[in-house]
Amino acid sequence: MTRTVSRSLLSLAAALSLASSASAQGTLKIGAVTSLSGRFATFGQMQQAGFRVAIEELNAKGGVNGQKLELLLEDDASDTNKALTAAEKLVNQKVPVVIGAYASGITKPLSQYMSRAKVPLIVATAVDETITKPGNAYTFRVNNQSSVYTRSLIDQLRKLAGLKTAVVLTSNDAFGKSVMTDVTKLLPAAGYTLLGKDTYDQGLTDFRPILNRYKAQNPDVVIFASYEQDAVALTKQVKEVGLNPRVMAGIATGFALPDFLKGSADAGENFLVTMVWNQDVRYPGAQNLYTRLKKALGGEEPSQHAAQSYAAMLAAADAVRRAGSADPEKVRAALTTTNLSTAFGPVTFRTYGGYQNQNSVVGLITQVQKGKFVTVFPASASRGKIILRR
Amino acid sequence: MTASVTPARPRALTFGNVWISLALIAVMAVYPLLFGKSMNFGVSTLIFAGLAMSWNLLGGWAGQTSLGHAALLGIGAYTMTILATPERVPAFLGGPLAPWWGALIGMALAALLALVWGSLTFRLRGSYFTLSTIAVALVIRLVAINSDWTGGSEGLFMPELPRFLGLDLFDRQAEYWLAFAFVILTLIITHAVRRSRLGYALQAVREDEDGARALGIDPTRMKVIAFVISAVLTALGGSLYAIYLQAFEPHTLLELPISVQIALMAIIGGRGSIQGPAIGAILLAVFGEVFRTVFANANLLIYGVLILAVTLYAPDGITGLFTRGGRKLGTAR
Amino acid sequence: MDSAQLTAFTQTLAQGLLTGGLYALIGTGLSLIFGVMKVINFAHGDFLAIGMFITLALFRAFHLDPYLSLLVAAPVGFALGYAIQRFVLARLGDRLSEASMLATLGLGLIISNTLLLTFGAQPQNINVPYAIQTVQLGGVQLSIPLIVAGLGTLASIGGLNYLLYRTELGRAIRATAQNPLGAELQGVKTTNIQAIVFGLGVAFAAIAGVLLMPLLYAFPTVGENYTTKAFIVTVLGGLGNLPGAVVGGLVLGGIESLGAFYISNNYRDAYGLVAFLLVLLLKPEGLFGKTVKRV
Repeated sequence: MTRTVSRSLLSLAAALSLASSASAQGTLKIGAVTSLSGRFATFGQMQQAGFRVAIEELNAKGGVNGQKLELLLEDDASDTNKALTAAEKLVNQKVPVVIGAYASGITKPLSQYMSRAKVPLIVATAVDETITKPGNAYTFRVNNQSSVYTRSLIDQLRKLAGLKTAVVLTSNDAFGKSVMTDVTKLLPAAGYTLLGKDTYDQGLTDFRPILNRYKAQNPDVVIFASYEQDAVALTKQVKEVGLNPRVMAGIATGFALPDFLKGSADAGENFLVTMVWNQDVRYPGAQNLYTRLKKALGGEEPSQHAAQSYAAMLAAADAVRRAGSADPEKVRAALTTTNLSTAFGPVTFRTYGGYQNQNSVVGLITQVQKGKFVTVFPASASRGKIILRR
Repeated sequence: MTASVTPARPRALTFGNVWISLALIAVMAVYPLLFGKSMNFGVSTLIFAGLAMSWNLLGGWAGQTSLGHAALLGIGAYTMTILATPERVPAFLGGPLAPWWGALIGMALAALLALVWGSLTFRLRGSYFTLSTIAVALVIRLVAINSDWTGGSEGLFMPELPRFLGLDLFDRQAEYWLAFAFVILTLIITHAVRRSRLGYALQAVREDEDGARALGIDPTRMKVIAFVISAVLTALGGSLYAIYLQAFEPHTLLELPISVQIALMAIIGGRGSIQGPAIGAILLAVFGEVFRTVFANANLLIYGVLILAVTLYAPDGITGLFTRGGRKLGTAR
Repeated sequence: MDSAQLTAFTQTLAQGLLTGGLYALIGTGLSLIFGVMKVINFAHGDFLAIGMFITLALFRAFHLDPYLSLLVAAPVGFALGYAIQRFVLARLGDRLSEASMLATLGLGLIISNTLLLTFGAQPQNINVPYAIQTVQLGGVQLSIPLIVAGLGTLASIGGLNYLLYRTELGRAIRATAQNPLGAELQGVKTTNIQAIVFGLGVAFAAIAGVLLMPLLYAFPTVGENYTTKAFIVTVLGGLGNLPGAVVGGLVLGGIESLGAFYISNNYRDAYGLVAFLLVLLLKPEGLFGKTVKRV
């Protein structure tokens, strides 16, 4: 008992103090905070795989500025306070840059703290618009803001002839809100009449009443933006209630996960799914990255979060290399001039349209065809053609 | 209502209590000297210590278990932030309010809510009140998510704030001492309640509600007063928490697990004691931090085991373990 | 109302009642436990999650039909509940009603995190051929798993009713609920009865989990929402009132579905919560006044 107590006290002291940073001299430490436990753990594992694959690749090439890279990965247990404590620990260990966190709700306070601590933060997965709009000088985002998904879909819908009416159902989180705002504004401009717009709460598992209403309205297009875990149930219930529009679209999140194909089986056939990365995308090395990520995940299918985290790690290492130093302020300055081509796609942090330090990512539209995601838009990346459901 | 449904009873009232409070204050005062680089941990821990203390005025002293305190916390955080934000402040106020006025208004709103909520629900006994707190908090959460003036699901960002008594509110040191002051305030109020007529009345109500009524005590009124004090302090804590976070959204601030966390801290620390909730909050934060580093993915599992162990082996909370002797001095069961 | 709207209404109501049946099943378990022991089980939804994951694991390992998992999940749930009452809750003695909240919250954390470590956090489902098959009843389209869930609920509640009112054990349970001391004096081993009751309550949650699996997906914290639903159902029907819980479940399913259909989906959970608060304030003994047993 006494030994356990003293061991706990020791590890607490280590956790809270600087003492532990003395280990592993000569490596270049990159900090990361993500959710390895708690309700976001799936995505934390994806992030971890992306980080590790990137570090392996960089170290195989000799590291950065003659130093091997080392990942200091902190678990935030899907909890805001723990994320802030973890980030502070990394700052105390004098990391030049931190990557994280997974969820938007945790990332926003984290970004505020990092800007206070004057250490750059690279966001790899959180999509909330407000993270980079207005953002701050220390926050950089590799992944796209949520509106990219919606806008690329609406661009595509504009081009499909003969479709007039639409309904939209989104999650009631920040992501859903952004989708709803864009759909409400842009879809009428694209020639559609919006017959219904609704949100639903986390943990809701019965979508039948609202789907029944849509069925009675009989729209041409149905757009969903769900919580990650709900895409499959939503899709099955669409089939169950007999809702059959000409176009079904799912915006990223759960629809873009490999599990969607497995879980929804033929109920998901011909769904349009917007995402930013897919293994069939025509970026050099994409297929190879997919294979390496899958291996790092122990055979599990990687999601776009893994690829985004991989790119974030490359961007971090690249900035440290160009800064020629691990000084956070110099790394921050270097990040603003990032210009990388990765297997995830190009990475540059630009300030445009109200966004600050935001990478511009091309939204892909894929369609589930014979149980696989096939990229159908943009033309430069596409490998297939859109099939209307009826 | 059977005897087994009697709520928790505070431990014996001994002078030891004041010394424990002073020791606790001393520990909090030296923390920045020892761990000056870990202020995030320090600030959030103290805020939750104060929240657990505030919870206990209702949960321990009045014996009414609330699982809806996240709503009161949210009222404090939202009111202050909305009133301090130029784009959000209602027009008739003529411009953003300083955060201290916002905090006071938030406390007043929380008091009002507690007054209405308590008056309506304290006619019910035992578990019914607890269930009502869950429902009220969940309804408030849905309103925050679905309204525009709350920032909806994207929540709010803290705007620039004026200096408070010369302190930069976004300086972690300043925040630490504000949180420290918040815990001391809750300690003082708890001590004061214990010595007041309210404290004795609450104790009488907890012991035997019908007996207390016979003595001329109005149990509902006593509980409502305790609820209002608890709500006011919780809203104050919410304002501090908003300053600390600088950005929050309903999905992280108003969820049931936050309410549960506050209640667990108080109960594990010892809902019958004066300082127990603060001690519980500090110990749970420390354990949470150690577990996070030592047990990796299993950290929340071990946390659950800890809760279960305390329930089984430390019925009066962690502080109860050290005051077993004092038990005899209390009123006999 | 034109015919498309009429069909949509009927379909929504039918599905709402079937979903409500599942709420009833979950609420009955909670209400039973409360009625006998005055314990509010905050881990109730987590027991449902156990039922779901048992189904998932058996399907993955042996390709066992999800409904056959009932034969495993119900006894496992019962044993688990029995053991928890015997070795955890019974030890709380006269602190039971206050400490049980803490104990069950702790148990809930242990269960959901054990599931997380074993199965991972990602939502997982099973694909059986009938999962998305539907039947047409006069224009109303209902999924087969939803109908099976409704039938399963009926059978479970019918079985419980038989047990409580037609068997010796049921008499002992009712006696324990009404007057533990008196029951003990009559030779009823109340500690054993309480463990059986907790076991039954958990088994009901596990059965609900199995019935939900073909309709839904499992993830470690799937139970959270169902715990709240169970509270609502139980209060609507009156704490400890079993027939009340059944009606409470159907009412909740109905108002949620029709509210989402006609008013707004955005506030869907609020309809149940507001009904719950109104009942709590105006008729705390539940919608039906007379209860099996008042607290």
